[in-house]
Amino acid sequence: MRYNIIKASEVLENPSFQGVLEIAKEIINQNKVLDTEMLYNIAKKKLNIPRKGLLSIIQTLLNRKILVEGSKYTRDTVMKNPFRKMLYDFIKENIGSHFSLIRKEINFDEKGKIASPGRLIWHLEMLLKFNFIKKLKYKNYTLFLPLNINEHEGIFHFILRDEINLKIIKKVYELKSIRGAEIYKEIHEKRELVYYRVKNLIDLELLAIEGENNENIIINPKVYKLITKNLTNS
Amino acid sequence: MNKLALNWNPEVIVDFIVAAIGIISAILTYIKPKSKKIPSLFFIRLAIWSMSLMMLIDGISLLIVSEELGILTGIFVVLGTLFFIIGVNYIMKESYYSFGFTLTLGISILFIYLGFQPGAIETRIQSGYVRLPWIGLYGDLGLLLIGILEIYMLYWGVKTFHNAPFLLKKEALLFFIGILLISPITFLFYLLYIYEPIYILVSDLTTFIGILILSVSIIIEPKLFYILPFTVYRIVVKDNRGNPLFDYDWSESNVSENVFIGFINAVQLMSEEIMNIGGLLDINLKDGILILHESENITVGLVTSKSSKLLRDSVIKFTFDFEAKFQKQLKESSHDMKEYGAAFELIEKYFSNFPSRIIPHKSHPLLLTDKLLKLPASLESDLKVLFPDEEEYNYIKSEIFRAPESSAESFISLYNEIKEELEKREKEQNGEPNNVKMI
Repeated sequence: MRYNIIKASEVLENPSFQGVLEIAKEIINQNKVLDTEMLYNIAKKKLNIPRKGLLSIIQTLLNRKILVEGSKYTRDTVMKNPFRKMLYDFIKENIGSHFSLIRKEINFDEKGKIASPGRLIWHLEMLLKFNFIKKLKYKNYTLFLPLNINEHEGIFHFILRDEINLKIIKKVYELKSIRGAEIYKEIHEKRELVYYRVKNLIDLELLAIEGENNENIIINPKVYKLITKNLTNS
Repeated sequence: MNKLALNWNPEVIVDFIVAAIGIISAILTYIKPKSKKIPSLFFIRLAIWSMSLMMLIDGISLLIVSEELGILTGIFVVLGTLFFIIGVNYIMKESYYSFGFTLTLGISILFIYLGFQPGAIETRIQSGYVRLPWIGLYGDLGLLLIGILEIYMLYWGVKTFHNAPFLLKKEALLFFIGILLISPITFLFYLLYIYEPIYILVSDLTTFIGILILSVSIIIEPKLFYILPFTVYRIVVKDNRGNPLFDYDWSESNVSENVFIGFINAVQLMSEEIMNIGGLLDINLKDGILILHESENITVGLVTSKSSKLLRDSVIKFTFDFEAKFQKQLKESSHDMKEYGAAFELIEKYFSNFPSRIIPHKSHPLLLTDKLLKLPASLESDLKVLFPDEEEYNYIKSEIFRAPESSAESFISLYNEIKEELEKREKEQNGEPNNVKMI
């Protein structure tokens, strides 16, 4: 029997093709890695089709894209997806990114189509699964960090993404010590916005209080080096 | 002629059998392949004919003990060797010429000249029967020519086996065993024949078995002849508005039909002046040739390693038949690729000789197309809510099958986590009197 002369429309109805497809489905459903040899060996045993005919069936299924090339992802192959790679590079370059930021910056997939939130989250999940990135919950934000960045640094980068936070840190760093009540004047921002953020930064141990009446704000000595490094780089 | 005067001996019988098998092979190489207009195959077939006739005439010359016919066998050796070299040259570089050809031609002229000199052939009793051995320099040059032929044949066999795609490997091995018997093994016994004439019989027998095996491999798989001349990679059909209608791969391709069609559209735009309707164009790519043929409603692009008349003719015929077969769909401007699926029959009609390389090796990893993958019902319904777009849903489905176990569940939980925090933040933003917003 020559399988390759079967009419296109009849392919899927042909019992031999159906048999091979069923075997392929079974193997995949058992979560095994399907390859040509495995499909060939099992189909040969179960369906008793001659070698040439069976190979011809597999070839036809590949030609008609019913079977496609592909294997289970490994840490090496998962990054072959260009969109995933782009996402990973973005997270590496923008430490402490959160979903809204990522979504804002990475709008299109590798084919130039708008990437849906679901697709974006799927790729983030794959990067998490294969330990390329880690996630960190900070307040109402899930932050994504490259694996080599510690949580404290991740939060620090996240905080500094806010313009007012950055202004506060820069001013305190510049003046070494400043009265808490004076900061908003120095950076020309609304008092209530600054007050809220200063409190946050103290809670995060990025700023510290000093002075007899706890009036002065300084850079927390524990993170002084980290802040110096980042402010110098920025 | 008196029947009793005939010089019947084992060599005559073996010669006739080998000649008969050789002629059958030459006929097979013509009948079996569907496309017959390939120059390389034409010359190889001529070489097989020449060598078979050489064996036939050798048998007759021994039978009637004719030195004149003995010289004629030498001429057929020359023809066989030259035709084979031309055939191999055509396979490798689409030209008859090579240094080896010039060298062999020079040796052949000298060989033929010597053949007509006295004493080139002598009637002798060897191994207990009358033989007509080639003598002196004539004999040495004859041996050299046969040696050259065997080297080219071995080269052809090795190249064919080495380049055989996975699907033809078994048949290619059989073919290669045939070549091994015909070339180095036969030649080894032919060399031994110089010291002991009886080895000519062994040499003829190995040729006979080799040709037999070669013929069987060609009967089983005529595509063996098409492994070397060119590799056909892909054919794509698009309508004149640039929509892909049909796509067929002979080898694995990472380029999607949309990207490939985009490339063809760009090429077509650039070559508008050269390529009018009905025009055919060969475009040199980095690793091959793109043959483009434009008709009234469609453009067909074939990517191959080399261009050839056979391929160009096949593309033209395929285009016309495609237009005729899908006249209705083309008139309705349908660009649903499913409607053109029956074009596989035209592939079978015009391109079935070309071996497929779509399965590169036995451990080639496979997956079912996303449309056939089945997820558990609850997961499926969850995913359908998250991915209302069918194409995207299918994409995620195929990703899930490639991902480690439980990836789908952790994806849904991450999705919900992010969704919740976005909602929370939105609520906070709306509820905050001071409009305090971190980012």
